[in-house]
Amino acid sequence: MINLHLLYPEMVLAVMALGLIIAELFVAAKHSRILYHLAVLAAIIVLCLVGFTLSNPGQYQGLGTLWSVDPLSQFFKLLVLLATVLCLFLALDYKELPPKHAGIFLCLLLLSSCGMMFLVSSVDLLLTFIALELISISSFILTGFERRNKKSTEGAVKYFLFGAFSSGVMAYGISLFYGFTGGTRLIGLAHTGGPLFILAILLILLGFAFKASIAPMHFWVPDAYEGAPIPVTAFLSLAPKIATLGAMLRLFSVLLPASVLDLTALFALLATLTMTIGNFTAFFQNNVKRLLAYSSIAQAGYMLIGIVSGNTLGLEGILLYSFIYVGMNIGAFAVAQAVGSENSRPDSDPYALESFNGLARRSLGTALAMSFFLLSLSGIPPLAGFIGKFYIFSSAMQAGHYLLAAAGVINSVVSVYYYMRIVYHMFFKAAQTQAALPIGPYLFGSLAIATIAVIFFGIYPEPLIAGVKASAQYLP
Amino acid sequence: MSAQISLAHYLTLGALLFLIGMFGALTRRNIIGILMSIELMFNAANINLAAFNHFLHPQGVAGQAVALFIIAVAAAEVVVGLALVLAIHRNTETVYVEEFSILKG
Repeated sequence: MINLHLLYPEMVLAVMALGLIIAELFVAAKHSRILYHLAVLAAIIVLCLVGFTLSNPGQYQGLGTLWSVDPLSQFFKLLVLLATVLCLFLALDYKELPPKHAGIFLCLLLLSSCGMMFLVSSVDLLLTFIALELISISSFILTGFERRNKKSTEGAVKYFLFGAFSSGVMAYGISLFYGFTGGTRLIGLAHTGGPLFILAILLILLGFAFKASIAPMHFWVPDAYEGAPIPVTAFLSLAPKIATLGAMLRLFSVLLPASVLDLTALFALLATLTMTIGNFTAFFQNNVKRLLAYSSIAQAGYMLIGIVSGNTLGLEGILLYSFIYVGMNIGAFAVAQAVGSENSRPDSDPYALESFNGLARRSLGTALAMSFFLLSLSGIPPLAGFIGKFYIFSSAMQAGHYLLAAAGVINSVVSVYYYMRIVYHMFFKAAQTQAALPIGPYLFGSLAIATIAVIFFGIYPEPLIAGVKASAQYLP
Repeated sequence: MSAQISLAHYLTLGALLFLIGMFGALTRRNIIGILMSIELMFNAANINLAAFNHFLHPQGVAGQAVALFIIAVAAAEVVVGLALVLAIHRNTETVYVEEFSILKG
């Protein structure tokens, strides 16, 4: 049961990513934008390939030795590729990246997406580990890509130290798991408990928690996010987080059901801790990148609630919320990039909250779009974020986790405060300049897609819900 | 009473290496030291895998295969780590983690 043909999209993406390094040799640095366009094209081709596999499930979906290609994994692959394309648009309008190394940058970005595609399909700890490492190692380099920038290298080193530590812990967990079960395959686990087995699962969970920025392993998030070039920050806050949550969903609620090992209480605790720490620390941030970093920690906590509830509604809730999360977060980062790259005075922090002062008077459309994204992130109807949160919280209610649902609702209310601080700066503070905010064409494209998605799916979510219901099927 | 080395010996060695590595990674102040400690953690996993494969599951080579993958991944990780250490050393002239403090809040 090799079924290698199921992995054609991943193979095509990996080949094209490596091809970009070779293409870099033939493209002069001043024409490096050609490479960016090639990378966008590669991601879109693979997006179409994954979409094509949905058209003929009998032939293009199935179970391989280490992977399972099913509607659940294809949904997350589509989402990861969508996020990659939108982040590449942001990168096209970002000036700080060295044009000399565009090929390497794009190759790493695409390889990282490739790792995420493997991760969401994986049903074996060996493939999970290697996919996580492929994502991590590429993202360490991407974070430190502005190597003359002290913040960028410092963020990358901190990210690396946490990442290497957690993968060491995860490797040890996998070794214990192997000793206990005699293999690394996750399908058909029949054993019940045993302290060694529980320890192995907890150590493996730690590795996942690091990538998804879940509470005890979240310390790297603000530093890496602030240091990284902002298109990379947007990428890190979206794709790895969603892919890791997708893999956790498969591992902890499908392959490792509560009858084998009941982790519900632990996950409920982690979800509460993640939401609370993310939201309450975001209060004190004056840098928009850091604020969005803490907000993305809190968002991971909300999505974790879906894993805790463990029912179909929770599964659909996570899918729905991760789709909407891509739209609203990429939008928020696009606006932050437009504002931050405009202010290039070396003495001040370009991403400080004060940079947003009076944005409404300078560019009303951008300010309104940003307000929509922030309202959606805090879950206010009629925007899309509300639908996602509604699904996730009602799944917790349905499974009887009333306290957890209450914690989620309270956290959402609290989060309104710090999101509205940005809105306050945009609408009620005087601007330092009256000049219109310069917005590049690609950034505008990302912004427009995100705005339309957030408003359209907030008012008319039926097509999205239908898609999610069709995707909530898996092959164990 | 033969002095045969049993699975328990290997597992104890693995656990000790893992704990030493973890302690080192959490307490060292020098990035190179932290990197070495993290290598110890990876090697603890490799010893476990090889020992489990030999004593408990001798019918296959899955454990050794995983150990080979972990060795390769650890090597890749260290290459990137050392490159990052070089980059930050050029920018800040230090390899001590407590002096990396531009980013905070």
